[in-house]
Amino acid sequence: MKIKLSMLLSALLLSAMILSACATPAAQPAAQPAAGGEQAAAPAGAVNLQLMGWASSDAENVRLQEVVDGWNAANPDIQVSLNLVPDYDTKLQTSLAGGAPPDIFYVDSFRLPDLAAAGALLPIGDKMTNVDDFYPSLREAFTVDGVFYCPPKDFSTLALEYNTDLFDAAGLEHPTADWKWDDLRAAAEKLTNKDTGVVGFSINPDFARWIAFLYQAGGEVANADFSAMTLDSPEALQAMEFYVGLVRDGFAAPASDLDSGWPGEAFGKGRAAMTMEGNWIVPYLKDQFPDLKYGITELPAGPGGKATMAFTVCYGVAANGKNTDAATKVVDYLTGPEGMKAWTDLGLAMPTRQSLREGWLAQYPNLEPMLNGADYARKWQFRPGFGDVLDTINAGMQEAFTGAKTAQAVLNEAQSVGEQVLAR
Amino acid sequence: MTPALILFAVFVFIPIFFAIYFSFTDWNGISPPAEAKFVGFENFRVLLFEDGIRRADFFKALKNTAYFSLGVVPMQTALALLLAVVVNQRRLRFKSFFRTSYYFPSITSSIAISMLFLFLYQKNGLVNQVLETITFGAWEPIAWMADPRGLFHIIFGWFGLTLETAPAWMQANVLSLSVWDWLSGPSVALMGIMLLNTWTTIGTMMVIFLAALQDVPREVYEAAEMDGANARQIFFKITLPLVRPTLFFVVTLGLIGTFQVFDQVYVMSSGGPAKTTLTVAYLVYRNGFTNSQMGLAAAIALLLFIIIFTLTLVQRRITEGKKE
Repeated sequence: MKIKLSMLLSALLLSAMILSACATPAAQPAAQPAAGGEQAAAPAGAVNLQLMGWASSDAENVRLQEVVDGWNAANPDIQVSLNLVPDYDTKLQTSLAGGAPPDIFYVDSFRLPDLAAAGALLPIGDKMTNVDDFYPSLREAFTVDGVFYCPPKDFSTLALEYNTDLFDAAGLEHPTADWKWDDLRAAAEKLTNKDTGVVGFSINPDFARWIAFLYQAGGEVANADFSAMTLDSPEALQAMEFYVGLVRDGFAAPASDLDSGWPGEAFGKGRAAMTMEGNWIVPYLKDQFPDLKYGITELPAGPGGKATMAFTVCYGVAANGKNTDAATKVVDYLTGPEGMKAWTDLGLAMPTRQSLREGWLAQYPNLEPMLNGADYARKWQFRPGFGDVLDTINAGMQEAFTGAKTAQAVLNEAQSVGEQVLAR
Repeated sequence: MTPALILFAVFVFIPIFFAIYFSFTDWNGISPPAEAKFVGFENFRVLLFEDGIRRADFFKALKNTAYFSLGVVPMQTALALLLAVVVNQRRLRFKSFFRTSYYFPSITSSIAISMLFLFLYQKNGLVNQVLETITFGAWEPIAWMADPRGLFHIIFGWFGLTLETAPAWMQANVLSLSVWDWLSGPSVALMGIMLLNTWTTIGTMMVIFLAALQDVPREVYEAAEMDGANARQIFFKITLPLVRPTLFFVVTLGLIGTFQVFDQVYVMSSGGPAKTTLTVAYLVYRNGFTNSQMGLAAAIALLLFIIIFTLTLVQRRITEGKKE
């Protein structure tokens, strides 16, 4: 029993220590400059903000640090430290739940509804300089129930990449922005060669790709106010049958059948003559397959017209942050004409402000098809808990690719799961 | 002693207590935990009694995990015992070399090994090449980690039994999954992870068996040899009964380990293809961290604990029963 008493005392002591440790940073937020030389030079009384994001390529990490350094030099009273972490979603979620979130953090449009529903985000979108300058489709991507939460930092759209050598060898005209589904299918068929193991098109069983076809067919995931799912429509079936049909007929294949980790790799290796990826494929191909000759054009139009997907990330400001005004100012700079130009001049992701369009295109004319997508791109954002629908469609399409499931069955299942999610 | 107890309390008891508490709330895992609403047994009702995607996913994960466990535990136990007996031989040369090399996978980073196996399992990867060579080209290469076909489904297919020709009772729904789905067997992708998992855990199990084998008195073996027992009799009549407590321990460890498999799924398949590698532990992670349903995730974790606990009790009963 002696152990018990000492244990109790130690436990008390420990909890006291933990409590005091928790209290310290809150009591004196700016007293201790963070490790690292730049912050140390900040004058007393300066606000220190943390910007958290995920680590990407070295080039991007360095460029973002440069942009942040530029802000810090010009604004001694607001100092931003950049924290790029791996396993971002888990890290963000635990710091939000722990009540000490970073002041500014990346928010993917797909994740936005969950964070907004949890009240984790301060709506700052409308406080930005010249809000109307952002592409409407991208503002829409960060709007939930009429509230524009956070300004998009950059974006990528899906486009059609094609291997010019394979097209020339097959004696085919290069794809153009005027292509229709039939052109895509016909070209994929002609480019498929059993002997060389080359297929016309590489697509994965992935909702994030098929959905472009859904919109091109004139279909919708749900009705406008998300009160009912509409994946049981004839348009959705047409899109699913077209997508799965390409694979079942052998004109297209998922990356795993082409000894690749993702379609971009299959395309780079020359195992697929076409693929549909976003801007991220450009630095990848340049780095891994520098000799590959390829072109980029807009996705083909379906029976319902043109459509592509915009994948975008915004700078969110934590609702329960301590320096939200300062954080909003920093975000306004980062997504403002000057900060965004400095960031997107790297050429990896595209500027979300229409006023930067011409200047950017002058530097990267070959990426025009991707930038054009902004005019008709759809948002990659649904309702809280939509991850269940995403998983269900992906799982269904994986089976449909092997022939174990019909297109109709995949959609029926997704429709039913979607209704459950909307009813929650 | 005391510091250890405190650490234990802080890092084990308190988290367990909170996990149990959260399983009765609707906490989303994002907003401060204090804001979570108490919902009683709602999470458990959804998981066990409400027909829908959440129950379907839970039982699918349970099914996958059960197949995983049924495949891995006997395989790793048998192979580990076999290896232990082999490297325990007195007359074996390079004994240390073999012991070290068999133990090596166990101490290598599981993430690194998983990444490596992703390459081995590719369509033009080493596994397919070896199979092609030993079957003189009869083996049709498959993309292991992208193949959702169940083992039993493939076998059923040889006898002309497919989803289309399956009798009506096979299409009936039991706990949100069709009987046909329950009888899928592990998918090709899951078998890939099973092989990997067996390979990485054998070493540890072998070392445990080795310790037990070295405790068996030499005289017993000598007496058996004097009495004219052959190698097989010695193994089944002497070695096996004498290492039975260790066998129980190894099977228990295997059972717990396999029911909690997470890292290899996380790295190699993220639960795909077609949710056939979705394990219970991975489902907990997915619900907690990508679907913002931490309360539901905690409830699944609690159910997993109850399942493992029950299985261990049952298994102890069986092993103890054999003693008489």
